[in-house]
Amino acid sequence: MSGLFAGTTILEFGGGAAGPLATRYFADLGAAVIRVESRQRPDFLRTLKMTPGTKGGLDGSEHFAVLNAGKLSLALNLSHPEGVAVARRLALRVDAVAENFAPGAMAKWGLDYASLVTQRADLVMISTCLNGQSGPHRFYPGFGGQGSALAGFNHLTGWPDREPVGPYGTITDSLAPRFAALLLAAALFHRRRTGEGQHIDLAQVEAGIVCLSEFVATYTATGEILGRVGNRSRHAAPHGVFRCADEGGRERWVAIAVHDDADWQRLVRALGSPAWAADPALATAAGRLARVADVEAGLEAWTRPRRAADAARLLQEAGVDAGPVADLRDTHDDPQLRHRRHFREVEHAVLGRHPAETNALRFSAMEPEIRAAAPCLGADTDRVLHRLLGMPAAEIARLRDAGVLA
Amino acid sequence: MRGTLDGIRVLDLTAEPGFLAGKLLAEMGADVVKVEPPGGDPARRRPPFWGGVEDPERSILWLALNTSKRGITLALDHPRGRELFLDLAARADVVLETGTLDPTALRARNRRLVLCSITPFGRTGPYAGWRGSDLTVTAMSGNLWCTGDPDRPPVRCSLPVSHYHGGIEAAAGVVFALLARETTGEGQDVDVALHEAMLMPNIGTAAMAVMTGNRGARSGAMMRQGRSVQREIWPCKDGFVSFALRGGPARIPGLVAMVRYMDEHGMASERLKATDWKSYNHNLLSQDEVDALSAEFGAFFRTKTMAELYAAACERNLMLAPINTPREMLASAQLADRGFFADLDHPGRGRLTLPGAFARTTPASVAVRSPAPRLGEHTAAVLGEIGVDAAALARLRAEGVV
Repeated sequence: MSGLFAGTTILEFGGGAAGPLATRYFADLGAAVIRVESRQRPDFLRTLKMTPGTKGGLDGSEHFAVLNAGKLSLALNLSHPEGVAVARRLALRVDAVAENFAPGAMAKWGLDYASLVTQRADLVMISTCLNGQSGPHRFYPGFGGQGSALAGFNHLTGWPDREPVGPYGTITDSLAPRFAALLLAAALFHRRRTGEGQHIDLAQVEAGIVCLSEFVATYTATGEILGRVGNRSRHAAPHGVFRCADEGGRERWVAIAVHDDADWQRLVRALGSPAWAADPALATAAGRLARVADVEAGLEAWTRPRRAADAARLLQEAGVDAGPVADLRDTHDDPQLRHRRHFREVEHAVLGRHPAETNALRFSAMEPEIRAAAPCLGADTDRVLHRLLGMPAAEIARLRDAGVLA
Repeated sequence: MRGTLDGIRVLDLTAEPGFLAGKLLAEMGADVVKVEPPGGDPARRRPPFWGGVEDPERSILWLALNTSKRGITLALDHPRGRELFLDLAARADVVLETGTLDPTALRARNRRLVLCSITPFGRTGPYAGWRGSDLTVTAMSGNLWCTGDPDRPPVRCSLPVSHYHGGIEAAAGVVFALLARETTGEGQDVDVALHEAMLMPNIGTAAMAVMTGNRGARSGAMMRQGRSVQREIWPCKDGFVSFALRGGPARIPGLVAMVRYMDEHGMASERLKATDWKSYNHNLLSQDEVDALSAEFGAFFRTKTMAELYAAACERNLMLAPINTPREMLASAQLADRGFFADLDHPGRGRLTLPGAFARTTPASVAVRSPAPRLGEHTAAVLGEIGVDAAALARLRAEGVV
């Protein structure tokens, strides 16, 4: 099967990461994902790093480009009534609508599910925002940084003696798209089997809290609020990252995780059975946890002169769970990510050739492909209006002159 | 309640990294049967335990991530257990597993089967045989490198986020494969790598690294923006809040409203009030300008609690969030209004409050349907569906197969 979603069209409103990353799954499997955009109020990722000198202006954002590869862009001014009318015709025509505006925005234009479903009973639509479409805090404005804090991830990340830091990359912005892809795919599956449509209200904070069910249940069952433990494990030791030899003036580390006593024996052998590790008190998890700092210091004495990649390979060959700590650039040289073709080159109109990323799914009977670079704003306006709505060129020109396609 | 995955039969053989995937499918209506060895899944022995009693029915990890599933025991290393498993798989739509299963035998009996493997690095490739866990796959993804304080080593989230990223992705992959099956009539293998799943949390910055030269750096409670380093996590009276000095059309109204809020408390300087927000660009601020702004915002936050600041944020559209723990989540008016938490009766153990449905749909289709199964709770019912009667079950039990 070349593209599972070949012939499927998704209309996307909104921006940032949480919404647009969700539809990437469908684009990579062949769907036409049409972003409804406007120069009047561009996606904030198009402007996040923009300065007056940015080459290509709104089309010169690397961040927008890597998150929106393989999509189409329709320029539509939603503050113009004719722009809203075009959006509505498209929404009723496509296979699914995805939006991540603040709640109420789509309703203001009459593009919300309740308004659209009156003319399309089997509409499939997903709305995602931080707090959900209902409730007293639904209008609370926030990005992933706020979502990560509200859902509990920040509290759990960092060192016990320091302030919380949060996992790198506003984590609800990468959890929510996966939930959205799951929900949207299941809604399409359900419609295919039953003919019924669905509206999905995905609150990114709620979905994040579901992931942290263990955190919540620990509190509701025992009253304990789990805290930050750095890289250590509450159940096993050693479990952390250990300094290796610097490379090119940069600090390097190797991550090593011992999960049980058999792992410990493998590790000790891989280290050449040093005297400090032969202490029988360290043979049990409890014994190692009681002297975790000593164990970590002993292990780091072994890792410190070694290259991180060498240490990891040596330990893996001995059956120990270990891996070099990679920086963002290193991931391009990772042989496993290369094997899985995680990064795929695309040719962008302004930025030239650059890598875009696919997801973590590989199938035996279909292959995700990134079919094109991210679109310049409005690059596909004429084609989309012509193909989906059969709009004649003269009508497109009239709308453009009236400022509707801006 | 009708689920979008009603009628889909799933056998869930996963260890901890795969628990969430089956839970999500079950909460969308699939019949997910957790298959455990007769001694129980190792997660059942992991502390902490509900009520402090070491009991396989009270492990919080188990109870939290296996809701809405049915549960059976089956010794897969016993020939009869293996046979029964193949019988179950012959009529299943999906098998979820974490690297212990060879798909060939299953595929031979059931061409429609979707077999989803969640493994650290994927089923093929140079690291396919490597061991991996949350710490190591996160380390190799670039995400760990960028997390933590600049003066300390990279640090992870104290709960395994790679399992969550990979688990949700696996559930999505299963549904993609079910959709493909509608067209082709055949199932397929879905190969999910937790390591690769941890690239998306970098939000595109790994791909960007070769464009911008930015290899990533740890900035702790701060973030580098343009010409300066700007605070993101701020101490307040009773904890911490997240707040950014970033501008842009979506954020500037929040900064303006924050200054007004501070002014009402007499804590906004004339200089701050005189800021020209129309021309404000956080990328162009000098470190001195950032430090002056931070001193004012920081001093104000220290006079307020997390709850006070979040209430103001909701009323006034400030882009500020408290660093929540479950205590704040359970007290949240928003989550209460949406009926988010599920209060589940666990027979013989009492009621336990857990996070509820991961989404709301119209018509309703997602829900936490039942507590995690007790060890072997549904063995008789599930094996009964493939014709194992009470007498046969007694024999299996005697032989240690169930």
